[in-house]
Amino acid sequence: MKVNYVGVGEFLTSESPGEVVKTMALGSCVAVTMLDPKNRVVGLLHVALPDSSINKKRAEEKPGMFADTGIDMLLGEMKKYGYDRKSRLTIKLAGGARIMDPNNTFNIGKRNILAVRKYLWRYRLGAIAEDVGGTISRTIAVDVDTGKVKISSPGRGDWEL
Amino acid sequence: MSLQEQIAKRVEEKPIPSMVAFQLLKVIEDDDHSLKEVINLVANDASLTAEVLKVSNSATYYRGQPVTTVNRAVQLLGEMMVVGVAICASSSVVFNSPLEGYESVAGEMWEHSLRCAISAREIAKHSKKNMSHGLAFTAGLLHDIGKSVVSEFLVGSSEDMMELCESGAVQDYIEAERKIVGTDHAQVGYSLAKHWRLPDTVCVGIRDHHRPSEAIEEHRPLVYAVHLADLISQLGGSGTGCDSLAYRVDSNYEEYFPLDRDAMALILLKIEEDFNSIKDMLMSDRKV
Repeated sequence: MKVNYVGVGEFLTSESPGEVVKTMALGSCVAVTMLDPKNRVVGLLHVALPDSSINKKRAEEKPGMFADTGIDMLLGEMKKYGYDRKSRLTIKLAGGARIMDPNNTFNIGKRNILAVRKYLWRYRLGAIAEDVGGTISRTIAVDVDTGKVKISSPGRGDWEL
Repeated sequence: MSLQEQIAKRVEEKPIPSMVAFQLLKVIEDDDHSLKEVINLVANDASLTAEVLKVSNSATYYRGQPVTTVNRAVQLLGEMMVVGVAICASSSVVFNSPLEGYESVAGEMWEHSLRCAISAREIAKHSKKNMSHGLAFTAGLLHDIGKSVVSEFLVGSSEDMMELCESGAVQDYIEAERKIVGTDHAQVGYSLAKHWRLPDTVCVGIRDHHRPSEAIEEHRPLVYAVHLADLISQLGGSGTGCDSLAYRVDSNYEEYFPLDRDAMALILLKIEEDFNSIKDMLMSDRKV
């Protein structure tokens, strides 16, 4: 089984049989997974921040870092494999965790989740499943053969999303 | 032997990092130091020279020509990486072992420490008061050394500890550690830092990194810098296993670091940028 890692601010599409695409621990980052059942393609994006306007130069170098530019890029990649308006994408979200903070300045996770939902909605897309928020650091793995998304967290084992 | 005595014994048993690692930390604590000082220290130590050359000839850094001189290697890696390599190589048992009690694999402790160090240095730049950026880097690098001792005594209790945190029976993982072993990784880290004869400010930075508001006024800027850096690194996805994100932000940090959302976001970006260059190297070490 080949494992392909998607680092912070990266994205990947795969149609290779037997492959698993994984993120490292997400923390407040959000993983967006896309499955195009018609074309049998899986996409995974690892977003770190809600909006590219904070650093345009960085967004050009690494568009996957931000929710807005990252979703544009991932959908662009999915199109190369035949995704179009007729495809019914299965989208799932994970991550966006927080630490305990009375002032919420540190709640980057929540802002990431809201931004991802918003930018997906621009394309009239939405997630059918989410495992987000809380004070849990998650790692996710997508099996390209089955399209199944598995979440794991140290000390908590793993479960399917 | 009581649990406290066993922990104290383990602290005494931990090998002291090499002299050159301490000298490097001392040099970078001075914000006006030159790269030449770093190069000289590395060049005068045969085993560190070998280690630095090995890393700079790894796939991540390879630029078509093998690196054969310390001068070139230090320029290629950057001084922060060199300090990170020196600390890790000279105290591998602390920085490069799995932390079983935290369910953390080998490599995570070192990555978290180095990310926290970079983050602390960035946060120090936002300080309302005058403070050394290099000192923040050092304290950030060493803040979790106590985990290498405490870990062994926490094996098998992570489920109970997470339950304690989630049920609200304790405020955070630090309190959960105190419940299980009667002390915590910050306090034990302080003892280890004392055993290593680190400067007082660094020792206090380690001891109070989860409770900066309890530090004496004089130490607070440094302690808050490490505190915030630790939490930001965890939000960025780099922790040491099952205690990740199970901490709380201490009050009043705004008095020392007026960090708003944008400043936080830019610090996260900076950590990623500095770290990106060594990602491949880290991943090849990591158990998949």
